[in-house]
Amino acid sequence: MTQQTESVAGTPAPGAPGPALVVRGLRKIYEAGTAPVRALRGVDLTVHAGEFVALMGPSGCGKSTLLHLLAGLDRPDEGTIALDGTRIEELGAQRLARLRRRSVGLVFQFFHLIEHMSALENVSLAALVAGAKPAEATARARDLLDQLGLLDKARELPAALSGGQRQRVAIARALANRPTLLLADEPTGALDSDGAAEVLDLFQRLHAQGQTILMVTHSREVAEGAQRLVRMRDGRILADGEPSGPVEVPAGLRVAR
Amino acid sequence: MPARDAGAPGTRGAVRLVARAELRERGWSLLALGVVLGLVGGVVLGAVAVGERTATAYPRLVEAVHLDDARLIVPADRPALIEALPTLPGVADAWLTEAWVAQVGGPQVQFMSLAAGTASHPGLVTPVVVDGRAADPAAADEVVVSERVAEHGMGVGTVLPLRMLTLEDMARFAVGFTPHGPATTVRVVGVARMPAWGQALPDVLAGPAFARALAGTGIGHSAYVRLDPGPDAAARFDEAVAAFAAAQPSIVGEYLTPGVEHPRAPDPAVQAAERALLLGVGLFALVVGLGALQVVGLGLLRTAGTARAARSVESALGMTAAQSVAARVGAAVPAAAVAGLLGAGVVVAAGTLAPLGSQARFEPEPGFRPQWALALAGGAALAALFLLVTAAAAAFAWRRRALAVPEPAVPREGSLAAVVGGSLGRWPTLLLGSRLAQAGTRRGVPPLVTTLAATAAVAGIVATVTVGASLDRLVATPERWAGGADITIADSREPDVVALAEDPRVAILAITDTSYARLGSGGTLGIVSITARKGTPPVALVSGRLPTAADEVAVNPRLAAERGLSAGERIDTLATGGAPHPMTVVGVAVVPNENHGPLGQDLLATGDGLRAVSPERNFPLLTTHVYARPGAAAALAAELGGRLELAPPTVPDAIRNLGDLGRLPDVLAVVLAVVAGTGLAHSLLVGARRLAREMAVFSVLGATPGQVRITLGVLAASTAVPAVLLGVPAGLGVARLFWWQVASTIGVGGDIAVPVGPIALLIAAVPLGAALVAAVPARRVRTPAATSLAAL
Ligand SMILES: Nc1ncnc2c1ncn2[C@@H]1O[C@H](COP(=O)(O)OP(=O)(O)O)[C@@H](O)[C@H]1O
Ligand SMILES: [Mg+2]
Repeated sequence: MTQQTESVAGTPAPGAPGPALVVRGLRKIYEAGTAPVRALRGVDLTVHAGEFVALMGPSGCGKSTLLHLLAGLDRPDEGTIALDGTRIEELGAQRLARLRRRSVGLVFQFFHLIEHMSALENVSLAALVAGAKPAEATARARDLLDQLGLLDKARELPAALSGGQRQRVAIARALANRPTLLLADEPTGALDSDGAAEVLDLFQRLHAQGQTILMVTHSREVAEGAQRLVRMRDGRILADGEPSGPVEVPAGLRVAR
Repeated sequence: MPARDAGAPGTRGAVRLVARAELRERGWSLLALGVVLGLVGGVVLGAVAVGERTATAYPRLVEAVHLDDARLIVPADRPALIEALPTLPGVADAWLTEAWVAQVGGPQVQFMSLAAGTASHPGLVTPVVVDGRAADPAAADEVVVSERVAEHGMGVGTVLPLRMLTLEDMARFAVGFTPHGPATTVRVVGVARMPAWGQALPDVLAGPAFARALAGTGIGHSAYVRLDPGPDAAARFDEAVAAFAAAQPSIVGEYLTPGVEHPRAPDPAVQAAERALLLGVGLFALVVGLGALQVVGLGLLRTAGTARAARSVESALGMTAAQSVAARVGAAVPAAAVAGLLGAGVVVAAGTLAPLGSQARFEPEPGFRPQWALALAGGAALAALFLLVTAAAAAFAWRRRALAVPEPAVPREGSLAAVVGGSLGRWPTLLLGSRLAQAGTRRGVPPLVTTLAATAAVAGIVATVTVGASLDRLVATPERWAGGADITIADSREPDVVALAEDPRVAILAITDTSYARLGSGGTLGIVSITARKGTPPVALVSGRLPTAADEVAVNPRLAAERGLSAGERIDTLATGGAPHPMTVVGVAVVPNENHGPLGQDLLATGDGLRAVSPERNFPLLTTHVYARPGAAAALAAELGGRLELAPPTVPDAIRNLGDLGRLPDVLAVVLAVVAGTGLAHSLLVGARRLAREMAVFSVLGATPGQVRITLGVLAASTAVPAVLLGVPAGLGVARLFWWQVASTIGVGGDIAVPVGPIALLIAAVPLGAALVAAVPARRVRTPAATSLAAL
């Protein structure tokens, strides 16, 4: 199958058919311990191709859970998720894995690089999983590290890199499959202000090139770098709008409160 | 006592407090490890106990029966020797019994010898009765028999009508006779055990009443001698006996062993079997012990690792490493006690096990024989070991807590794993697998220990099954020990041989002649000749060729090994008259022998060769070996049995001893496989669980559950493959060395039989099994990929 053949910059033009992500009535209950935890209580969210969305909310409100469901790492109890027009909530483990390798990039707060692989290998591993030939994977990894200003660190192991550098390698890894949707769970949470600025700057550049991004953050400052801000609380979307502009509050929520 | 550390009552209290907390939290898992160590350690010590019982069975029997140093049978026509015997040079003590040869009534012609003393001698030849009871000294009709005879159907209760031979009858043995001695009937009341029965110690022993009733009717006397302690006593005694024999020839000299037997000389057949057994037991104990140590060590390390948070608190409170370790050791005391008690219990229980294999035939005290000292010492050692390993694990965990996250090394360019990883990078699983494997070996001890332990286990299994296969082949292939004849006739004459050669039911007919040759350098060697009278008798040629001329011989593998003889070398044999008649070695071959004990005579010669070097004899009887056509053996034997003395197809003692090992090698291999397999599986599971984070990341990148499983499998296989690559050749090497030793001791060819099937199975099963085992936890890794990453 043919995919986008340009570099990271090669994202579909604005106004491409359909939104990148449509979530309707998403519910997730964890049956851990004594009482079930209702982590998501009916989330509706639409993200258009090319959008850069920041997701904020207090700790434990279900942000990570939502991201994991969107990435196909777990399955919802109720509701639908359409990624690039494909419904994923009913897929099996095998299909979800293929979906992740084709359409999703995931970035974590604590990087989760593989310590025993060099920066270059960490990135090319993702490309290999996505189906690239070894030479192709290495070329793509080099290209990404180059764009992210890390080419001189390509042979280094993660332990030899600073926090910001490590997170940039992790982002390069998440981009290695040219994902439809880049999901980031508090990518600046473990970084100092310089590191955080580095990462935010990178996200903005990616956004400018057309990358669709959904980023969880605790930092108001980081969130303001995004194009749109979604607020969550107690497993629901509370508000949606421009980061600094007026906030649109969904009608249903107002009734519920 | 060092005053600083443990002196202050406050800190001692703190140690006790931590120990109590530790016991509360980890008491059960410590107890579980204690039980494992106790049981497995007990099995190891039990193996040692059985090994000890096996190794000491023979010497203990020698002690228990007051085995004589020398024995001989003196025909009645040498009265001077009988009279002088107690005062001969070298003799410290002697017991004289009268000896009889009797014809036993029954469907087949059969002769047996028996002996009885007019008084018993407590310090010489007191066989251990293992079935029934000893003969009543006052009953003239009671006998005990050797186990050898009992096995052939002459057990307790058998009634034997006997007709004694006179010395004159015996002298006409080859010509034909009817017994002229008295008739009597005896009853077998017991079965007795001795390290060695021989011509001078007959298989049937009667008591004083019998000796008195039949006094003076025997063919001579059997004498059992305790020699002076000096090193040359044996030689002086032999020399004196030889002088008497030369001065007073006997009319039955051809039928009785001329010289003195030395029953204490170590029997190589016994030694070979014993060596095989002890090696097996040692290997078993080693592998099981290492396996247990690995499991318990890793377990304690994990237990210590989970206490890391607690330890941070302790160090913040100012406890030293020694105190922290002391607290853990204190908490481990109950579990250590359990380990010790269980271990001691298993050792005591092992007292019910008989000595292994053929050595059980030498056990003087059959039945329960607990080893209290070993149980006590072993139990204490296990408890101490448990505490020691606990201390080591605690110290290790303390040190690790103090260390920063170790800096991973940069993968070396061009290292094997890098090259493999690079060229196979097409598959992401292989790239990741090889990198993690590389990291694993760098992470040090556990994977290396796992690989080494697996290598040792593979080598042990390969060696065991190979020795087992070689053993099976030997026992099942009579040609390898020059056996295999369907019928052996001890007293055939030339007309019998001619008739047999013409009989269409006879496929192969061979005549063997046995004698001895004197050497120019002193001493004698047994010599045998084989003459084919029909067909080609099978001879196990180990190397070179068979002799074809009168000055050529083949040597027994045992002699070849002992004296380093090979083809082309000469042996300084003397001709019948005493002139030099050297013979050239042309090959190594297994030489047949009807006697018990070590296999085969020393030399195999042509008939002419044997006659050239052996003493002048006038003996018309031929030993004929008949190889019947398929299905014809039974009828032939029934027909011949009425006229001739047939020896049933017997298996030599040396082969029987090895055959007694039975399935022991296979059992050992299975135990090894189970223990090593469990240990390997355990450490692979631990290793795989340690990679949960990496596998979760891999899954996030889009790896399917299958790919995750394959990666873990590749990793585990990379631990197991070196074990197979190194272990199989090492095992074959050990088996080759060991089997060569055993084979040359008993005098057969030392080439091993490689069990290709089982070894191929092992080669395939080890990496495959490792991969499968490691892939199991992937099931658990898969689902909570998100959870496991969120937790980190
Ligand atoms: N695997 C899990 N099992 C049980 N409860 C969970 C699990 N993951 C998250 N939770 C619970 O679900 C709720 C939402 O968690 P999470 O999505 O991680 O919140 P956030 O990322 O917004 O801090 C929390 O109460 C958390 O404790
Ligand atoms: Mg979170």
